[in-house]
Amino acid sequence: MKFFRNLFITIAFVLFAVFPVQAKDMIVKEPPKSLSKYYPPESKQPKWIQQMHKMSAHFGGVFVNLKEKDFENVDKHADKLVEEYKKTSEMVPEWEEYFDIKAAETFAAAAKTHDIGKAGKASGGLGKTCGKCHAENEVSVWAKFHWPSFHKINVTDPISEKEIEFDDYMGSISSSFKGVTVNFGEGQYDRAAKALKIFKSRFMELKSTCSKCHATQDVKRFYVGPDADTAFAGLRQELNSEKPNPGKFWKNIGLLGKTGCKHCHLVHRTNSLIQEMWEQPEKE
Amino acid sequence: MKRSSRIFDLVVGAGLVAISGISILYFLINERFEWIPDIALELARDPEILKRPAAKKCSECHKDIFEAWKKSRHSISWTSETFIEVSENRSKEKCLPCHIPQSVQGEKPSPRMELRDEGIYCVSCHFIDNKMHGPYDLLAPPHPTFRNPDYVRSDFCGSCHQKTLKEWKATQVEDTCQDCHMPRKKGRLTQKAGLNLLHKKRWLGDHRFLHGKITEKDVILETSWEEKFFNISLTNQTIPHFVPTADNGDPRLYLYIKFFNEAGEEVDSAKEIIAPQQETALPYNKKINYRYRLFDPVEKATVELKYQPAWSKEKTQILAKTVSR
Repeated sequence: MKFFRNLFITIAFVLFAVFPVQAKDMIVKEPPKSLSKYYPPESKQPKWIQQMHKMSAHFGGVFVNLKEKDFENVDKHADKLVEEYKKTSEMVPEWEEYFDIKAAETFAAAAKTHDIGKAGKASGGLGKTCGKCHAENEVSVWAKFHWPSFHKINVTDPISEKEIEFDDYMGSISSSFKGVTVNFGEGQYDRAAKALKIFKSRFMELKSTCSKCHATQDVKRFYVGPDADTAFAGLRQELNSEKPNPGKFWKNIGLLGKTGCKHCHLVHRTNSLIQEMWEQPEKE
Repeated sequence: MKRSSRIFDLVVGAGLVAISGISILYFLINERFEWIPDIALELARDPEILKRPAAKKCSECHKDIFEAWKKSRHSISWTSETFIEVSENRSKEKCLPCHIPQSVQGEKPSPRMELRDEGIYCVSCHFIDNKMHGPYDLLAPPHPTFRNPDYVRSDFCGSCHQKTLKEWKATQVEDTCQDCHMPRKKGRLTQKAGLNLLHKKRWLGDHRFLHGKITEKDVILETSWEEKFFNISLTNQTIPHFVPTADNGDPRLYLYIKFFNEAGEEVDSAKEIIAPQQETALPYNKKINYRYRLFDPVEKATVELKYQPAWSKEKTQILAKTVSR
C-alpha cells in the first residue's frame, strides 16, 4: 500500500512538473515546401494569406449580416465560406488534417437558420480548426514568408570591396569593433583610431544594406541614424585628442550599441535565427 | 505645237494643283488640324494603339524614338539582370510601381500586370485617359494626341525620381531634368513614309534618357596639408542635384587616398564611399570636407575619384591627383 502511495506521489509530482512546461512549449517547424508556391517569389501574389483573408471575410460576413438581419447576405457568406474553406484544405496537402469540412458545413447550416445563437455555437467547431493550425504554424509562416531572409543578402565589404554573405559581414563588423575597443583598452590609441576608420566604414555600409529592403529614409535612420553619427564623431574626437577620456569613449561605444546594433538586432535577429536553424543541413 | 503646248499646260497645271494640295494638307496637319472633320479623322484611326500596345507597335511610325528608347535603361527596367538580382527575382513590392508603371502622371504610379517586359515604355508615359499625350498638340491620324505641358517639367520625372526631384528643387536651378537628360534637337516625330514629310520638324527629346557623365569639371577637388592632418574637399559644382543621386538604387563615388613617406613607400590609405544610400552624396554647390589624421610622416598623397553606377560593378575614373606637402 505504502509502495503504491509513494509511486502515485512520484508520478503526480513528475506530471505536475512536466505539464506546465509542455503547455508553454512551441515547436517552430519550417512550413511545408508546398506552401512556398503561394508566396513570392514563386507566386506573384501572396495567395495563401489572401485565402486566409477571404475565409475570414466570409466568416465575419456571416455575423455582421446576422446582426444586421440581412439574411440574404448571411446565406451568401455562409456558402462562400464553405467554398473557400474547401479550396484552402486542398492547397497544402501536408496540412489537410487541420481541416474539418463537416464542421464548416455544420456552421454554414447553422448560419442559414438565421439564429445568431446557433451560428455562434456552431462557429466553435470550425474556429477550433483555424485555431489549431494558427497555434502550430502561424509563427513559422510569418518567420518564413513575412520576413526577409538575411542569408540571401550579400554585402560589398567597403574595405576589401568583395561581396560577402550577410552573416560573414556581421563577423567583419564585429572584428573591426573589437579592433577599436581592445586597442583602446590597452592604451593603443593610434591603433584604435585606425581601427575606428575601418569600423565606421563597415558600419555605415549598413545604410546601403538596409536600402535593399527599406524604401523610407526614416526606417534606415532608425537603424543607422543621427545617434550613430554622433557616436562616431565623439569616438573620433576622443581618439584624436592628446588624452582620450575613457568615460566619453565608452559612453559613445554604448550609444552606438544601443541605437545602432540593438535596434536592428531587436527587430530582426529572432526571425533571422529561426531561418538560420531551418537552413542548417539536417543531422544524420 | 498647239498639242504639245496643251500637254505642257496640263502638266504644269497638275503640278500646281498637286503642290497646292500638299501645301494645304501640310498647313492643315501642322497648323489647323481642328478644321479637319472628325469623320475624316476616324477613317485614319488605328484602334489597336488605344489598347495600350507594346512599344513595337509605336515604332511603326516613331522609329527613331523607339530606337533611342531601346538603348535606354527605361526599356530594361524589368528585364535588367541587376534589377532581377537586387529585387530578389522581382519580389520586392517597393520596386514595382516605378519599374513597371501603369501610368506616370506626377505622383508615384501603380504597377501594372501586363506587358511587364516592356519596362517603362511608351504607354506608361504617353497614354492617359484613353488618349495619347505629349509636349505637342498634334494631328496624328492613327491616334489623337494632346499637349500636356508637364512633359517638359521636372515634376513629371519626379513621379518616380522623387528624391532626385526634391534635391533639384532645392537648388533652384532652372534647367529641368529634361534639359540635361533628354536634350532636344529638331527632328521628325514620325518616320513613316509619306507622313514624315507632311509633319513639320519639331524639338524632340532624346529618349535614351542620358545618364550624363561626371567629369572633373563637375566635381572640384581641393586639398590642403596640416602638420598631422590631410584635408580634402569635394564640391559638386555643376550638377543640380546630389551626386550621385538615386531613390533606391546604389550608385557610388569612391574616393581613394594613399599616403606616401619621403622614400615613396605607402604608409597609409583611406577611402570614402559617397553614395545616396549612405547619405554621403555631394549636394549641389556645397563644399564637403574630409579630414585624415596622419599617423606616420607623410610627404605625398594620391587622390582618386571613381564612379560606379547602380547597375554595374565597374568603376570609371573621374579624376586623379598627386599632392605633395
